[in-house]
Amino acid sequence: MHNRALPYLLTLPSLILAAVVIFWPVVDLIQIATHDVSRFGQLRDFNGVANFSALVADPDFIKALLRTGVWTAAVVGGALLVSIPVAVILNTDFYGRSVARVIVMLPWAVSLTMTAIVWRWALNGESGMLNSALRGLGLADQNIQWLASAATAFPMQIMIGILVTVPFTTTIFLGGLSSIPDDLYEAAALEGAGPVQQFKRITFPLLKPFVNIAIVLNTIYVFNSFPIIWVMTQGGPANSTDILVTHLYKLAFRVGKLGEASAVSLVMLAILLVFTAIYIRLAMRGERA
Amino acid sequence: MAISKWKSGLLAGLSVLALAAQANAGEVRVTVAEYSSKTGPYFQEVEKAFEAANPGIDVKFEVVPWDVLLQKLTTDITAGTNADLSIIGTRWLIDFVQQDVAEPLDSYITPDFKGRFIDTFLSPSIMDGKTYGLPIAASARAMYYNKELLEKAGVANPPATWAELKDAAAKIKALGGENYGYGLQGKEIETDVYYYYAMWSQGSEILDKDGSSGLDSAGAIEAAKLYKSLIDEGLTQPGVTSYAREDVQNLFKQGKVGMMITAPFLSNQIKEEAPNLKYGVAAIPAGPTGARGTYGVTDSIVMFKNSKNKDEAWKLLDFLFQTDWRAKFTQGEGFLPVNKEEAKMDYYVNNADLAAFTALLPDARFAPVIPGWEEIAQITSDAMQKVYLGEGDPEALLKEAAAKADGILKK
Repeated sequence: MHNRALPYLLTLPSLILAAVVIFWPVVDLIQIATHDVSRFGQLRDFNGVANFSALVADPDFIKALLRTGVWTAAVVGGALLVSIPVAVILNTDFYGRSVARVIVMLPWAVSLTMTAIVWRWALNGESGMLNSALRGLGLADQNIQWLASAATAFPMQIMIGILVTVPFTTTIFLGGLSSIPDDLYEAAALEGAGPVQQFKRITFPLLKPFVNIAIVLNTIYVFNSFPIIWVMTQGGPANSTDILVTHLYKLAFRVGKLGEASAVSLVMLAILLVFTAIYIRLAMRGERA
Repeated sequence: MAISKWKSGLLAGLSVLALAAQANAGEVRVTVAEYSSKTGPYFQEVEKAFEAANPGIDVKFEVVPWDVLLQKLTTDITAGTNADLSIIGTRWLIDFVQQDVAEPLDSYITPDFKGRFIDTFLSPSIMDGKTYGLPIAASARAMYYNKELLEKAGVANPPATWAELKDAAAKIKALGGENYGYGLQGKEIETDVYYYYAMWSQGSEILDKDGSSGLDSAGAIEAAKLYKSLIDEGLTQPGVTSYAREDVQNLFKQGKVGMMITAPFLSNQIKEEAPNLKYGVAAIPAGPTGARGTYGVTDSIVMFKNSKNKDEAWKLLDFLFQTDWRAKFTQGEGFLPVNKEEAKMDYYVNNADLAAFTALLPDARFAPVIPGWEEIAQITSDAMQKVYLGEGDPEALLKEAAAKADGILKK
């Protein structure tokens, strides 16, 4: 008979490490979030949920919360839509494929902050590359002030978010595609299935677990992503492009409300936990069926 | 796998221990703000010269970009790993004093040492009669104008009032092309300050005499309407809410902007990046009653209460505030002199640009010393961005902001 405790014993070291690395900060956060905290992190009185109710009463927080949903859904969804065809194309054999793969991966190699800074320059109203390109092509007869209002700034930020998420997503899909045996396609072709049918009946269903993993990982990553929005607009003008992380940063380090900032970060953690749990359960159920 | 994780865990643990044990005897750690690419090399030089003159004291400068300085200090102090000395924005000092992390320096300061400073710049670092910091950098704001643009537009003298400024801006706009009259900052740090210039000239103050917010006063509303009218009539660069201070300065260096208000360091930048630009520096425009105000800023160097090497740290401060070292720093960064002896040097006396700044010092306002000031500044910036974007009536937006600010002031 197997020793039932053995698996637990074997995973114990990593569990302890995870506990130290993950639970300790979370316990710390809970402490800060439930206390009146000085600007430099000294805990004063226990104040229960006061920090949380202050958040709910703050319209900027609610707006940032909703905007984070839009941001995450748009970036993750957009990256998915772009990455599947890109991965399928990169998986076919064509001349210069390795060069194309390198080009697609390049944005990944550049630090996110650098990418955002370059885009901030490119979107400059007076001397930005994008405006001069648009004017040169005759697509615009006036400079567009991209970052001056959320109506243009936020869609641009989403686009950049998609751009930098595509390499990672494509890599996952390429791995998935290479695990699909060629025989399936040969057999399908013999039976007379066209490329569209092959994609719908073979590629996509077999890629599904990889799509699920990409959605979960990207959601966690994009939800917490700070540099693009911070570098380009700092969540402005007038907090109109704030997402939860930038709101948190301002609360903690501009205004010095560490208690409320910790509360935001706990809310973020809770949202991600719930999302991941629900999503993984749904995805698993789909797989078993 | 598990073993390597253990190892890295141990290593992480050891490095935490190492951090805690960092305060060796005779070691002075200093956090300094990176004002420009010259800051790092300057403090390296200081380190060499000071260590040569004081064997046994080991100085370590940590150069931190301005944008993250407050964040670094907050986390360092929270974790108890802060340096012995640090440069801070003087407007943050009240938090440091109230939280009891700053050491009063009075026991070290001799009358002779105190006499080295210009009072205007030392006084913001004094609270409740105690000196908590020494002004390491000082700055004020004045109006830069592009001589060539004004000449082309037929404006003989730099505008002295906001009415004249508006008039000059309209003439520059009439030149056509990508020329903008008044460079208006609408993004990031000091967006609120850019509005105060107009507000002060209307006779309003950040805080009313009774200590409540002055944002809902008649002058403040008038100033917001003035800026809004400049935007609406196309007398500023388009899309002001996408222009941080550096962006407006870049426009000025490119010769596209007629007038803008900023700090003395722009002169240094123009000398290096746009040496052919013909510009002048003048007073900030006055309002209808002749009132005007500029923004005075000092950064202070403070000693932390938990420093274990206070005497050594003080030696370093004494060294830093010698005339020669001060002059080298101030001139490299483009600040104003804070030492009396330094101010008498030819470099400052014969410098027309700097003279315009020092002439404005009697009208200088420093950021009010109140807790929660950063939050009030943020509220003001947000309100102004809404005004600039046209997201509401200036009067209503300012009254709303004043109410929010009052809520913080009452705490």
